[in-house]
Amino acid sequence: MDNFKVRDLMVPLSEYASVPESASLYEAIVALEKAQAEFDHTKYRHRAVLVLDAHRRVIGKLSQLDVLRALESTVSRPARILDDIHQYGFSPASIRQWRLEKRVLQGPLTRVCGLVGRLKAKDFMQSPTEGEFVGLEESIDAAIHRLVAGSHMSLIVTGNDGRIAGILRLTDVFAAIFHAMKVCQLEEGETTP
Amino acid sequence: MIELQKLLERVIQRVNINLRELGYDVSPYVRDLVPLTQKVKFYAFYGITPHHPLDLQFHGASLAGSYFLGRCRVSSSLLYKSDIRGDELKKKGSVFRFQEQEIVLTRDERFDIEDSYLIKTLVHNYSHDPETPEHFFIKDTVSTHYANIHGSPTEGCFLGPFATVDLTTVHDCVIGPFSYIQAGEIWHLNIPPGTIWVRSPGHFNFLYRFPPEALKAYIAFSPGEVPRGALMDFVNQRKHEFQRIFEVVNIEPSVRVPANASLDRYAVVRPKTRISENVLVSQRAFLQNAHLGKGANAQENCYIINSRLEGLNVTAHGAKIIEADLGTGVFVGFNSFLQGRPQARLTIGPHCIIMPHTIIDAAAPLTIPAGHLVWGLIRGADELAANSISLEALAAVSDGLHQGELFFEGSGADFVKGFQQRIHHILEANGAFYDGNGQKGHAQRNQNISFNILQPYPEGPYQGLSPTTIIRE
Repeated sequence: MDNFKVRDLMVPLSEYASVPESASLYEAIVALEKAQAEFDHTKYRHRAVLVLDAHRRVIGKLSQLDVLRALESTVSRPARILDDIHQYGFSPASIRQWRLEKRVLQGPLTRVCGLVGRLKAKDFMQSPTEGEFVGLEESIDAAIHRLVAGSHMSLIVTGNDGRIAGILRLTDVFAAIFHAMKVCQLEEGETTP
Repeated sequence: MIELQKLLERVIQRVNINLRELGYDVSPYVRDLVPLTQKVKFYAFYGITPHHPLDLQFHGASLAGSYFLGRCRVSSSLLYKSDIRGDELKKKGSVFRFQEQEIVLTRDERFDIEDSYLIKTLVHNYSHDPETPEHFFIKDTVSTHYANIHGSPTEGCFLGPFATVDLTTVHDCVIGPFSYIQAGEIWHLNIPPGTIWVRSPGHFNFLYRFPPEALKAYIAFSPGEVPRGALMDFVNQRKHEFQRIFEVVNIEPSVRVPANASLDRYAVVRPKTRISENVLVSQRAFLQNAHLGKGANAQENCYIINSRLEGLNVTAHGAKIIEADLGTGVFVGFNSFLQGRPQARLTIGPHCIIMPHTIIDAAAPLTIPAGHLVWGLIRGADELAANSISLEALAAVSDGLHQGELFFEGSGADFVKGFQQRIHHILEANGAFYDGNGQKGHAQRNQNISFNILQPYPEGPYQGLSPTTIIRE
């Protein structure tokens, strides 16, 4: 475990779901479904889609929560004021009431889902921050520090040439650590009189 | 000019450090917004009157085209065509009331502008922060074209074009273009463009936001570009009218000004304008075929064109009224853009309150009934219905209201009362009620102002910067 590098645990970019920046939310979800189907079913399923620019650089990550956030956003009203209304000092009860009114105006959830699917994935993705990248040859220790410090679900792995090589997922790091813990416990058990 | 360039970089760095939590970089917006060569072209000027304390201190500052009145200290800052109007700063010995407290001022209040860059910005009123009653600070802040900093100490902020902070202490915030904020005190907020927010905690909360795409037709601001849109076009088309009045040393008013009224010599007055008793016209106001009834006012950066204001009208800083007829006591808030047309005039009934940053731009005639509150974007009768309410109906709201894109919580009566009291205070301060006796206002006290000018270094490393200057009584 101590000698593990990021490259040993990452998912290669080719196995991860990705869409161009022009993609709709629906196209992003289809890409995710396809990647999940092609991925080894014994492993933890992918939970996010990468959004790539014309040079195939990662410009953002779209998580399942981001898709749900799109549902919460104002589909029929471009002002989207209810998205950030919490920062203006209104009571939670009023905000709940207004969100409910808005949902009623928009119609049933199935209709809203149809509308949301047409929105741009780019508008709801999270842009990667500086601490969200990790080098291919870096240690797992360094990666753990970045996952914890930034509360990230995954890190973007860059190769020696600066290009994106893959994704290091929290779940894979956790599985490796858990495995190491079990080994430790076993070894301790064998040495205890 | 090397020192000027260094100063600009220093201010950008200061603001960015304050905005780091928001991940906001002001440099692409600011660095080339006004060519530094402009800072050499224009003189700064200050007013001298017996009614206002004179205490000006400038150190390491560029002041091009800016105006100062009252007590002010500017250090390590760039001011470009800004108005620093200190005729409402608090006086030594006066009492500042905050909640149940009465705070007695131990010295005259002063503007303190430090490590900031203000572009065509109006700074006015007095600090409403009870923690700094004698100190109206603007620190580590960039404000862009036609922003208003009104009674609002700010630190670590970026104000987009036509943004207003009013009676609010602002810490480390981005205020988007055409947003109006009156909320007491705010921290670490990134306010999107066209947000209108008026909050009095425990009393009411008013929030509206313009449709982003529609707003862009009026004002849009992108990195590396100057502000664009109908508001900028409107102002730029009339910019040349101001050049002459700034070039001439002595200028006689082109219209009759009653004894109790005030017309600033740096206002533009075009033909067929009428100024009645107790009228106040501030510097950089523009009047053309404008009838200003008794006690009406036109504050800085206001434009009143082919319009009639019956009297006791407040036209707040930056408001524009074109082809319109306003009844008595109509209040038009900051930066509002009310555009009627020759064949489609706009009529506003008496005692209406046009919220700050309202845009009315209708192709057909539009009439707003008396006693209504109006807000947001109105391009026809449908949007007027969505974005207006009678003051009587609003006063009956006791908990919440959701109408169109307006979200309101709290007491409508408190909101209406608060606005009406403020309008009355503005009229009183401006001298609209003056009857020859009693307390004078700005219209009476600002009649005889002498203006001196301040020139920057014309060349060399300090080109564009003003020498260190102290001016006192």
